Amino acid sequence: MDTLVNVAHGFGVALLPINLLYCFIGVFIGTLVGVLPGIGPISAMSLLLPVTLSGTPESGIIMMAGIYYGSMYGGSTTSILVNIPGEAASVVTCIDGHQMAKQGRAGPALGISAFGSFAAGTFALVALMLVAPKLASVAIAFGPAEYFSLMVLGLVVLTFLTQGSMPKALLMACIGVVLGLVGLDSITAQPRLTFGRMELIDGIGLVPVVMGLFGVAEVLLNTEQAIKRDIINTKITHLLPSKEDWKASAGPVGRGTILGFFLGILPGGGAVVASFASYALEKRLSKTPERFGHGAIEGVAGPESANNAAAGGAFIPLMTLGIPPNVVMALLLGAFVIHGLQPGPLLITQNPGLFWGIVASMYIGNVMLLILNLPMIGMWVQLLKLPYNILFPLIILFTILGVYCSSNNVFDVYVMIAFGIIGYFMRKFGYEPAPLVLAFVLGPMMENNLRKSLILSQGDLWTFVQRPISGVCLTLALVLLIAPLLPSLRKKRELVALDEGA
Amino acid sequence: MNNDTPVKLRLNNSELWGGLIGLALGGFVIWSGLKLRLGTINDPGSGYVLFYTGILMCVFAGAIIVSAITEGGPTLASRWENVRWSKPLLLIACLTAFAFALEPLGFLLSSIPLMLLLLRLIDPVRWTLAIPIAVLVPSGMWWVLKRLLLIQLPSGLFGIG
Repeated sequence: MDTLVNVAHGFGVALLPINLLYCFIGVFIGTLVGVLPGIGPISAMSLLLPVTLSGTPESGIIMMAGIYYGSMYGGSTTSILVNIPGEAASVVTCIDGHQMAKQGRAGPALGISAFGSFAAGTFALVALMLVAPKLASVAIAFGPAEYFSLMVLGLVVLTFLTQGSMPKALLMACIGVVLGLVGLDSITAQPRLTFGRMELIDGIGLVPVVMGLFGVAEVLLNTEQAIKRDIINTKITHLLPSKEDWKASAGPVGRGTILGFFLGILPGGGAVVASFASYALEKRLSKTPERFGHGAIEGVAGPESANNAAAGGAFIPLMTLGIPPNVVMALLLGAFVIHGLQPGPLLITQNPGLFWGIVASMYIGNVMLLILNLPMIGMWVQLLKLPYNILFPLIILFTILGVYCSSNNVFDVYVMIAFGIIGYFMRKFGYEPAPLVLAFVLGPMMENNLRKSLILSQGDLWTFVQRPISGVCLTLALVLLIAPLLPSLRKKRELVALDEGA
Repeated sequence: MNNDTPVKLRLNNSELWGGLIGLALGGFVIWSGLKLRLGTINDPGSGYVLFYTGILMCVFAGAIIVSAITEGGPTLASRWENVRWSKPLLLIACLTAFAFALEPLGFLLSSIPLMLLLLRLIDPVRWTLAIPIAVLVPSGMWWVLKRLLLIQLPSGLFGIG
């Protein structure tokens, strides 16, 4: 009953005209960045982070959330029609989605992707409504040791799932922690690694780091190759899947939704892992696995549902524990912090309007996305024809403006350009930026909780092992650290490894 | 030796260089941690976490170096094989020049040439399209930010913008 009252309150907030407008802007931009290859939700959200300053916290965060789940919808359009994933979570959709389009079945592929995403998004929201308050009440009992260990686990999971060698990913995570500690020490107020620059006293900004590593570096990488687009030119018809399509897709949508939701909750997990896992599961369960890769609708329905369910599930650790499970959620945490809010166990009780408003807006956003992605598909197809040589200078200009507007400081533009160049070389040498960014955000929190727990336990390191939740998290982290040393597990890791940067 | 062949004990093994840079960074972080005061385990100081993170960095960089020596790795040149390496280089040069010009020239006078260079140098867009985009987009953005959102962009020594 309480949940229903809260949901009604949430809809009261989400249906305010200003919040509806921000929700629409969010899902529209999300679909746009999902459709356009070369710019992903991370770049778009960091670009628009300063815009959230102008409105209420509800409006800003509703918009940012809309960009995230909106990009999950939009990403499939590019994968199906152009065979280029609009964002990382849609990589798998290319395999069967584009084959379906080539066989003249682009309509059902786009249709099942949108309907599957809608069903998964709706399930994830209902689950979020039911799980988050319960988890938040448990999380109140968390102390600094639990928080520290959970963050360690989150970082280790992400490094485990990152493409390439694990030592490289762990090195990136360590560099992220160090960069996060630049500026005044929160306990002793001593400046650290500021090199005498006043601009660094408050630390390095999240926006220039993310825009550099993901936005500028991505453009640098893209300019290396002439991007060829094999756009399906036939008219897109029959967006409503047939009875046979529905029959074949119902199971994959259901399984993808549940799998995606739980993978989304896990620290370090997220939409990309979910889509890959769902594809592997469907292929394994199928009686005709040989159809996969040649236009099997299950290969579109499962992963597209999974990535949307994961996008919803990823809100749970952020809203209930204050721990972002992935880079996108780290940016959302930034939006909360900009407004002086701290997501965590007390958010739901202290700011019910904000929490339930965001959840309700996500439901409204899902309906908006269904309308944006089916009847308006023609508009997105036209956008795909925008050449990259015109698009990338615009991306560069918007990143410069986005970074400048976030702090009104030219120094941040320099920082972004520097991180763009560093990010380009990192990617060339096989170092993924995702662990660095997540560690950059978690670093100061990890340090704070580590120092607090050491002071509270009077220097007893066993406190991290003796407390059950903390002990379990550290044990899991240790298992994941050791796992790649075993050849059989190393192979499994290579299979699920992902490229978060795309 | 072909550039694609993994190289082990050679200086152009790119994995080795990556590890060495990581090791140097780790060393610097350890030194910074020590300089900032480690404190005790009961009362960790400002350099405590930095120091131990630096040690971890050295360990992971060491693992990368060992793997580069035992398993080999691609050469530096092979990382840029079969790609248009000059294009990102040009883009980096344009961005660096822009960074130097932004404060003295201001947003408009630095971003219009930047846009024109990017539109013409990488994958050339025809002049009749490049010039309007290069002029109108930064000017439009400047107008929206300055007039509608009241955000002051750098105006430079000439006070333009």
